[in-house]
Amino acid sequence: MEETPRSPAQLERELAFYRSEVDQLGARMLRLQEEQSRAAREARRSKIVARLVRDAYQIVHQDIDASQIGGLILTLVADTAFCDHAMFLRKDEAFPDRLIVEHAHVGETDAMVELSMPPEFLFTATGYEAEPAADIFTCLIGLPFILWAYDAESGRGLLLGKQIESNIHRPYDARDREIVEVTLTVYIDVLLRKNAEAELRFAKKAAEDASNARSRFLANLSHELRSPLNTIIGFSSFLLDRGARAPTPDQREEFTRQIQSAGRSLLSLANDILDFSSLGHARLQLRRDWVPVNQLLTGVLRALAADISARDIQVKMQVIAPELQANIDYDRFRQILANLIGNAVKFTRCGGRIDIGADLLAEGGLEILIRDNGIGIRREDLSRVLEPFVQAEQGPETLPRGAGLGLPIAKQLLEAHDGMLRIESTYGEGTTVTLDLPRGNARLTRSEGPSGIAIPPNKATPEAQRHSRAGTS
Amino acid sequence: MNGQIRTAYARNPDLEAAVQACHLQLGMAVPDLVITFAGGKHVGQAVLSTLRSAFPAAKLVGGSAAGVISTHGFGYTGFEIGLIAFQGSDVTPDIVSTHALLDSEAAAGRALGAAVRAHSADGAVVFVMFDSVASVAPLRLHPGSQIMAGFHEGLAGRKLHVIGGGLLTDINLSDGWVIDANEICKHAATALIFPSGIRAETVIFHGCRPASSFLEITAIEGAEVLELNGEPALAVVEKMLGLTLGTTSGQQLSLVATLGQKQGDPFAPYDENNYVNRLILHANPDRGSLTLFEPDFETGARVQIMSRDNILMLESVEKGVAELQGRSAGASNLLGLYIDCAGRASVMSGAETEEAALVVECLAPEFPFMGFYSGVEIAPFAGSHSRPLDWTGVLTILQHAP
Repeated sequence: MEETPRSPAQLERELAFYRSEVDQLGARMLRLQEEQSRAAREARRSKIVARLVRDAYQIVHQDIDASQIGGLILTLVADTAFCDHAMFLRKDEAFPDRLIVEHAHVGETDAMVELSMPPEFLFTATGYEAEPAADIFTCLIGLPFILWAYDAESGRGLLLGKQIESNIHRPYDARDREIVEVTLTVYIDVLLRKNAEAELRFAKKAAEDASNARSRFLANLSHELRSPLNTIIGFSSFLLDRGARAPTPDQREEFTRQIQSAGRSLLSLANDILDFSSLGHARLQLRRDWVPVNQLLTGVLRALAADISARDIQVKMQVIAPELQANIDYDRFRQILANLIGNAVKFTRCGGRIDIGADLLAEGGLEILIRDNGIGIRREDLSRVLEPFVQAEQGPETLPRGAGLGLPIAKQLLEAHDGMLRIESTYGEGTTVTLDLPRGNARLTRSEGPSGIAIPPNKATPEAQRHSRAGTS
Repeated sequence: MNGQIRTAYARNPDLEAAVQACHLQLGMAVPDLVITFAGGKHVGQAVLSTLRSAFPAAKLVGGSAAGVISTHGFGYTGFEIGLIAFQGSDVTPDIVSTHALLDSEAAAGRALGAAVRAHSADGAVVFVMFDSVASVAPLRLHPGSQIMAGFHEGLAGRKLHVIGGGLLTDINLSDGWVIDANEICKHAATALIFPSGIRAETVIFHGCRPASSFLEITAIEGAEVLELNGEPALAVVEKMLGLTLGTTSGQQLSLVATLGQKQGDPFAPYDENNYVNRLILHANPDRGSLTLFEPDFETGARVQIMSRDNILMLESVEKGVAELQGRSAGASNLLGLYIDCAGRASVMSGAETEEAALVVECLAPEFPFMGFYSGVEIAPFAGSHSRPLDWTGVLTILQHAP
């Protein structure tokens, strides 16, 4: 059957029909396409949460310090949730109405905000009236659109921010609560785990250190303990002898002196051990005062004058301005210097030399230097000599042994002053020990004569009296 | 040929660490030229000084990128760094540039084209980059169509293989900058002219399909389409979409639909390669108009509303890569360069699969490869000269000329 030719009007009508159908189908396709895109974008929220949880928990297995976790998670959340800035805040322990920035994705972390009752959650978006606290956070992060979640129990919060809302950064809404809360929870959880791990590691190391110290104590100090005890027992046995073997009066005097000397050695050893033990278990309370450095060093040298003289050691102390003062605990710092200079005396050959100096550094720092030309320390022993009960190898020389506590005690006491101990040594040539006190701990005052000295009179005077023979040269 | 081309990629908020990682990956002691694509959260001046420290003897070009695509990873977080390093005169391109886009894109393009003509021979491969964002408030782009129109005038008949892209700091069109002549520049365009021993094969990936019958542009001012078929353009499109565009300041940029102009026979069967698409930059409810990315449509032009189709986009990649591999079989490939519209990133398009990842997966290049997310893509179109395109991916393989 032949098709009847259509009139132009009919063709026009058919064309209009097809055009309308095409447009309607096209519109339908566009709407479906848009719905699919919108659904995909919504699904991203769930994907973001899942990825955050997965990736953040991988941090647990990384060998990192707890302080690095915040930065890593912020990088993760900024990458995943496509925000322009992110920061973790925590409640300031000293000021409960204050939140301080703990970690920032970019930039510095020295910012803080005053906020007594941080909201659990808030967000800002165009056309949405946010809580008053939102202004505080938008100012802090420097961006208009923010997401915030806060965990009251841990006192920690997470703040995300973005510059603009658009297709990629769609406006924040209440459904984003999951992203920010999950991230914060994961952070707190990972942090707790890492802190627990660190505490365990610390406890394990403390136990190992204690065990090592005990082993070294037993290995190295048996001689230090037995020698004076044998002296006491042996000479006291002689003293108890009667009859033909009874000691003469001169011998009695000599034996008694030997017993007394051995007893003093034991007492000194016991004091060192107890001192070191107490330093390791409790935070040292320092009683700081401004003390003239010159007088401090002179006092220490006087106390060691007998040993210095007995070993015919030449001690040279540089001229130190009487106005130079250090902010220290007199007794404790004196103990540091006595240990260090005492070591120099002990490990310098008879007729050797010790140089002592002190310098005021920039911004009120202080450096004290003790250099000897003694036996020195082998390179392999340098890292060990600051450990307790360690005796460095002395080689063929016969020099006095010690408890191996002088340097560890000096180091701990100096660290309590926020100072640092450095040891440089060449075996066979000598050792240089440097004490550094950080800035703000030394000063030059106007010369006020002896009355300006800050040493408590009950400390300085008897010492000066007891050691009237100055050991300096 | 002794020259070398190498690529490197890193992502790190720490710029120095990122550049250092790239430097190590390159393993090239003294490159002659380094093209950089830097995520927009890195500060331009810092990028330049860090690169200068790492490559003191190299010429530096490139600029910001909304994201970077490499075989080692890709991303658009703003902290990516992608480098292409060239060593040897037989592979290193010459550089010409203009800093006068703000005065007149067409005039600057013309000057650039004339400079390229003076430095090139017929058949040379030229890579053009310019900062896409002319002003932030109000948002105005440097129209690639005007730059390229001027550029072709300046070429005065020189036949070149021109590819290129608009540089952005991020997918939200916040800004863009160019590295040129040891400074960070705005309103600048750079053309890299490759040596005559290098040729290129290029394929364009699309992903839009007509969703309407033909509509005639009955009123247009520059990039602002005022009327379609005699009705306010915005009303026509909104009626089609069944939704309102431009309701919030944050959603000015619409990727729901594009306007497409079919080239050649309007009633020829559908072929994605025959369409020039223009994204809608923003809707203007006050004027009932639509502003497009480019001002190259004219009154009387017949356009169609195009549906951006994610499935089609991915199919186009698979088909296009296969075609390019076929064309490149047996060639000595030097570098794969991918210029990808930022709107194709899944965070923007909503595609389940990252299109850029699919490109890398399908191409599986055994030669250096680098890509970046761009504001506009420039490529030889329909066998004719190169023109700017929207919502496309332009994949080029540089090869030794036979």
